[in-house]
Amino acid sequence: MRRYEVETRDFVAVIVDELLYTETDEWVRVENGKARIGITDYAQKMLKDIVGVELPEKGSRVKRGDSVAILESVKTVAEVYSPVTGTIVEVNERLLEEPELLNKDPYGDGWIFAVELSDPGELEDLMSHERYAEKIRK
Amino acid sequence: MAARSIPLEDLHRSIGASFGEFAGWKVPMSYTSTLEEHMAVRKDVGVFDISHMGRVAVKGPDALDLLEKIYTKKISKTKTGFLSGPTLALNTHARVKDDEMLYRISDDEWLLVPNAAAREAMIRHLKSVALQESYSVEVIDHTSDYSMLAIQGPRAIHVMEKLSKDAASLKPLEFQVNVTLGTARVFLVSRSGWTGEDGFEVWARHGDARKLLEELVSRYGVKPAGIAARDTLRIEAGFVLGGHEYGEDPTVFPCAVSLRYGLGAIDWSKKGYIGEPALRACRREGARWVRVGIVMKKKHARVIPRQGTKVVVEGIDVGWVTSGTFSPVIGRGVAQAYVDSRYALIGETIEVHVRGRLYEAKISEFPLVPLPSK
Repeated sequence: MRRYEVETRDFVAVIVDELLYTETDEWVRVENGKARIGITDYAQKMLKDIVGVELPEKGSRVKRGDSVAILESVKTVAEVYSPVTGTIVEVNERLLEEPELLNKDPYGDGWIFAVELSDPGELEDLMSHERYAEKIRK
Repeated sequence: MAARSIPLEDLHRSIGASFGEFAGWKVPMSYTSTLEEHMAVRKDVGVFDISHMGRVAVKGPDALDLLEKIYTKKISKTKTGFLSGPTLALNTHARVKDDEMLYRISDDEWLLVPNAAAREAMIRHLKSVALQESYSVEVIDHTSDYSMLAIQGPRAIHVMEKLSKDAASLKPLEFQVNVTLGTARVFLVSRSGWTGEDGFEVWARHGDARKLLEELVSRYGVKPAGIAARDTLRIEAGFVLGGHEYGEDPTVFPCAVSLRYGLGAIDWSKKGYIGEPALRACRREGARWVRVGIVMKKKHARVIPRQGTKVVVEGIDVGWVTSGTFSPVIGRGVAQAYVDSRYALIGETIEVHVRGRLYEAKISEFPLVPLPSK
């Protein structure tokens, strides 16, 4: 896994290859039939100080584009959208007590949920790290 | 219209500020993290650049008469060399134009610090009342002449002891002019602030403010803190802000009595100021709304009731949140709200309506966290 620094308007954001990205600043890691999802370093730097998280229920069905989690930061509140259709098979309950993991380690311990994919074809609509870098670059 | 820059913007950028807009000014929002900056002020010491606030002088033989006509406190009781403590300027509906402190330089020379959003309106108001009453007084806007820094937190006094013995010996609300702080020569230093902590506020020419800020940060380890932390600190402390807890529109904001400002901001024995008849009428009728604190219950600790959130009791809307945030000190969502006086029972459980759900919270007295007593 390689990390790249991208200069955005207000700060330097880290992106990682091997991940796919959304227009709404989520990342997706594909793990044999499953998609693990979190928010990007750019997103956490925009939100700053995340102090609360509402997570989806394990076992619930989601469609691509559904709002599935809520991030409460000191500054504002943000929704996290599922980039794929399927069943939520894992949620990161550590975030309930340690929401700061989203700020400290957005691509690692700050993951939010994982979806078992109904339609792996949807992944083709996501962005590569190069395209995402273009989107957030100043 | 582009936001107005504060004079030391480049210095703030070099020490890591990210900027945002507030009341038409481009101001440092935060440097590292709002939570860290907040805790530095509560446990150690932080410094804010508050140059976006107004700095106005009122001078002339009738200066005191003008101020008595405008503010709800007996301004004549303020001693020379002291700040008045918070007081309110009202409109004729007894709604608040601004909350301010006044500095008595001498009998006929006063300074005041309007909030950024109210500065122009307050200058116009002061001038028009002076004209109407034929007062001999000058109102001078010094906002761009000085920068203003606030050094706040329990260690502020120890830092000040190193910079100036004289300034460190100031009593609460006392000020001195023409003081040397370390290598900076500053116009004014006062023992005051807006965080609920002990601290000092400084007016200085920009070059001296730059020297002072650099010295505070690099030599004394004072943490730069942004306006986002300033807001979370004032919410915990129970201090009010225009556009949130007060404003001039009587269809939006309750009468000033409902603020329960305390701190002697309103002196009921005082007569003859603008808004007094309406204020007494509100008091006679009894307050319909009461400003109270709200603290989320433990099981919903991380829910933040933000401005506009409804307050609910037994399914009835009984009030609305005016400011809300996450308190890093107690680890809960906290807020200020106006609640119908029949339901504004300190210590009782209410609910807040956040994203379509009701969450339990408690009505609490200010301050919402323990603060040092003055």
